[in-house]
Amino acid sequence: MHDLAKDKPVEKSLNPFSTKDFALKRRDGFIRTLLRLATYFILACAGFIFADIIIKGAPVVFESSFPFVNTKFFTESPETLVVFDTADGESHQLDFSDYSQFKRDNPDMKIIEEHTHSYSGGGILGPLVGTALLTLICIVVALFIGLTTSIYLNEYSSKGRFMDMVRLAIMNLAGVPSIVYGLFGLGLFCLVAPVIVDAPNDRALFSFPILPGKYLSFEGWGTCMMAGGFTLAVMILPVIIAACEESLKAIPMGFREASLALGATKWQTISKAVLPYAFPGMLTASILGITRVAGETAPIMFTAALAHKDVLPWEGANSLGGFFSQSVQAMPYHIYTVAARIPQSEYTKPMQYGSVFVFMILVMCFAALSIWMRIHYRKKVKW
Amino acid sequence: MSDTNKQKSGGKKSKVAESFRKKGFQIFGLGAQDFIRFFFGGNASLAIIILILICVFLAREGIMFFPDHHKGLKSYRLAGQELVDYVGEEIDAHTSLYSAANVAYYAEVNRTSQEEDTILRAYRSVLANVENMTKKTWGRLEAWQEEKEDLEDELEDLLEDKEKLTEAAAAPAAAANDANADQAADTNESEDSAAKLAEVNKEIAAVEARMKELDAEIELLSEKLKKEVNVAIASDEAWDLGVGADQPPADSIDEIKEAVLFEAHPDADEEHAFIVEVKERSKEKKAKAAEELTGFKDTVKGIQAAVRPIRSYHSDLKKIAVENKREIEKFSTAPERRKALLEGAENTEDPEDKQEMLDRANAVDITEPEYDKINAPIYERVPEHEKLAADLKAETEKLYAALPEVSELETKSARESFGRAEVYNERFQNRVEENTEKVKEWRHDKNLSIFESATAFIFGKNWITNSSWHDFYGLLPLLSGSLLISIIALVVAVPFAVAAAVYVNQVAPYGEQNFVKPAIEFIEAIPSVVLGFFGILVFGETLRNVSQVEWLSWVPGFPMAERLTILNAGLLLAFMAIPTIFTLAEDALNNVPGALTENSLAMGASKLQTVFRVIVPTALSGIIAAVLLGFGRIVGETMVVLLVAGNKIKIPDFTEGLGVVAQPAHTMTGIIAQELGEVDEGSLHWRALFIVGMVLFCISLAVNFTAQKVLKKFQKI
Repeated sequence: MHDLAKDKPVEKSLNPFSTKDFALKRRDGFIRTLLRLATYFILACAGFIFADIIIKGAPVVFESSFPFVNTKFFTESPETLVVFDTADGESHQLDFSDYSQFKRDNPDMKIIEEHTHSYSGGGILGPLVGTALLTLICIVVALFIGLTTSIYLNEYSSKGRFMDMVRLAIMNLAGVPSIVYGLFGLGLFCLVAPVIVDAPNDRALFSFPILPGKYLSFEGWGTCMMAGGFTLAVMILPVIIAACEESLKAIPMGFREASLALGATKWQTISKAVLPYAFPGMLTASILGITRVAGETAPIMFTAALAHKDVLPWEGANSLGGFFSQSVQAMPYHIYTVAARIPQSEYTKPMQYGSVFVFMILVMCFAALSIWMRIHYRKKVKW
Repeated sequence: MSDTNKQKSGGKKSKVAESFRKKGFQIFGLGAQDFIRFFFGGNASLAIIILILICVFLAREGIMFFPDHHKGLKSYRLAGQELVDYVGEEIDAHTSLYSAANVAYYAEVNRTSQEEDTILRAYRSVLANVENMTKKTWGRLEAWQEEKEDLEDELEDLLEDKEKLTEAAAAPAAAANDANADQAADTNESEDSAAKLAEVNKEIAAVEARMKELDAEIELLSEKLKKEVNVAIASDEAWDLGVGADQPPADSIDEIKEAVLFEAHPDADEEHAFIVEVKERSKEKKAKAAEELTGFKDTVKGIQAAVRPIRSYHSDLKKIAVENKREIEKFSTAPERRKALLEGAENTEDPEDKQEMLDRANAVDITEPEYDKINAPIYERVPEHEKLAADLKAETEKLYAALPEVSELETKSARESFGRAEVYNERFQNRVEENTEKVKEWRHDKNLSIFESATAFIFGKNWITNSSWHDFYGLLPLLSGSLLISIIALVVAVPFAVAAAVYVNQVAPYGEQNFVKPAIEFIEAIPSVVLGFFGILVFGETLRNVSQVEWLSWVPGFPMAERLTILNAGLLLAFMAIPTIFTLAEDALNNVPGALTENSLAMGASKLQTVFRVIVPTALSGIIAAVLLGFGRIVGETMVVLLVAGNKIKIPDFTEGLGVVAQPAHTMTGIIAQELGEVDEGSLHWRALFIVGMVLFCISLAVNFTAQKVLKKFQKI
């Protein structure tokens, strides 16, 4: 495009209808169309992916009769699916527990062509709950540390080389691959993080008594939702810090100066004159964080996720510590399992598409919310 | 703390006065404001410490890899395995040459019987398809037949019982005449057996009735099966012959159908006459073609035979090296075993056990093996190698020259194979020359520096784990896969993303901007596992089908045989990178000062001339930064490559030129995700994976840092 224009320098002509200008216009139009095509091609690809998943996924989740939603899909955890024909020529698809019941009910029935498909039966309650818990832990931790850090960086710290370096480091860490965060989480939270135990493990890095009969032992939390949530939190920490700082920076200096001039203390200034106006931006940042965290698989692969679990988190724990120190199923990991780790067949399809559909809709809702909020507040806030 | 503040600020005293007032609440001269400051400062340092810890923990788990790896490589050398692998490399190089020639030969031989082979292939796949489609009826029929067989067995047993009972019933009756004394009991018995007999008779009747029923069912079902097969064979699905298969000639289709129908019948044991005939014909033609190509065949066979002496030499050496390796391993684990035994002895109460354990601990041989001695048998045979290798080389050279000219070959695939063979031949010759030197100079006690072992990791061509011979940890296969996929993704993503950014920022009307921009940003939120899922289930298949289209066969790598390839992963990653590049590039375009645009327009340049000659060049460094950050995102992406790249640990074969994109590969991110869950904590393999993580970390830091630098430069304009 560049060269074409270079080869034939446009001569200034007084006649606006001269052919050369016309050629230029045509070329302009051609390039415009090309650019537009490229843009809409991207959107078409996205549309195709959405359409494919929605068309194949929606029938699993919705039903034509009341209550219009496949309740079983949302109230059960993944199970093995058994597909078999009985001697009377009927084919059945039952979850493993139903299958055992069926066999007990019909002891004489001859079963032909029995196939099992792991993780293809039941529903997605377990993974949904797991993802929600992981996201919750992560957001609580990341927002607490991220917010305070950004407030310190923007409001308290003195400007200088050191702080610039810190900022640069944070920016750089935002681009580190998520799997590296997974390795880090495994190394720190699963294997070294401190716990209070009655007797320290041999594996512990070091340990010392804090109370009679209690030790603080650096032996790690093991594979559990705490470790996963913290790993995810560390992963989005740079993003949250950067976003929160951005929204703090957007508050005009005059607000602070006016507040201080009126005799307010530093903290009063921050809490009354800065934070309320930065709040929408921070909310947007946290929702963006949720979007990213909920979709991540790599960091939780070794730190928290489990392919199969019979009980829901609150059924298996008897104390608060026990609740957080169990591993969970998670939606992205569940999708990875059903997509790549089990043999494919037509019977695994509903589970695959159903989970992907629900998961995508959930993440997309958060994403849409954050994009909408950003646009909305950008329009609204004017100073 | 905030509560105290609120109370204060809500108090009756005026705020102005408050700030001049002496602070009431103080510890060690620090007021509430200082504590708030420390609270925030503390959290900030916590965040920074955590982020520093990332490096510390990656290093903590990973850094021990280098000494361990060094030790492993040292024992590899001490055991003589290194030398054996030199010989092995020669053999491998020779084998690829031979197989290329062999493929060419068979392509030539099969050329004449292509028609028959196509028919046979089509027949087989149609039969498999039809069987698959009618699986259900088929299964039921088989179940019935099984039941029928069971019933037949049962009937046999029952008939035997019946015979016995009839005899038993007859015997007492005969005996009764001889001995009247036990009559009462006998009568009882015979009554008993009569009842049993009746029962058995009843059962027999029941079984026979069931068998009749079954026969009827089977009759019905086989009718049904026949019908279903008829329907199935008429469908297109049955004629889906698989990837890259040729269609059989039109006149044979009916016969294939007939043969399939014949085969689908439950009683069919033999093959249909047509198929037998075609097989016969194909065989004949092949034999004839082979006769014509005897010279070629002998040459190929000669090539295969030439490697035999060196192969047996190699396996002899290998045996010695394996023995050596065992010795060395025994030595290296000896202190640990001894320690474990001593500890066990300490913890046992029983004095006898204790004594036994102590004895065993003392018996553990902790003397270092004499490397000179264990390697002596290898050295003894080293001189043989030169002659063997030279022979092999000369022989192969001679035979290679004896191969037919490329122009004599008639099939395309044979010609292609010859092209490969030429490359392989050259490689083989070089390999032999190089390795002859290496073998001559090889010393088991040659010093191995830590630097050498580090290079063996970074430039190692193999990543082989859990092998009984030696575990190799070489980064190159993973790095090349990662880079190749990223480059493809970038090549595809950059034009689209930049074009979209230019369009949205400069060309599109306002309303369109407000729709397109959020829509593209929305793509960024698609979770990577969802994209990977899409790639594995939908896109892979679509891509392969597209690659089969005839008029696209000029595209390198097409038609593709695999679903999960570098190209598939690259295209999906391109889609993932587009929003990142788009957003940042659009920002860069947005930041171009308006004065530049206005000046250009005022000079009479058209809108697009302004865009491409003023705005884009000005924003170029911003766009480059965007591309770099997009690259960072692609290189670090895990789930998509894990799911769709094919996960084959091998350096992509670049002899195919751009066709390399149709191969599967493995990546650095993928290997961590795939293998870390399965290795022991603290093992060499585990540490190797952490080091791979460190390499990734460094790459992404470098990319991000460069991008920041470029951006800074851009901001100065």
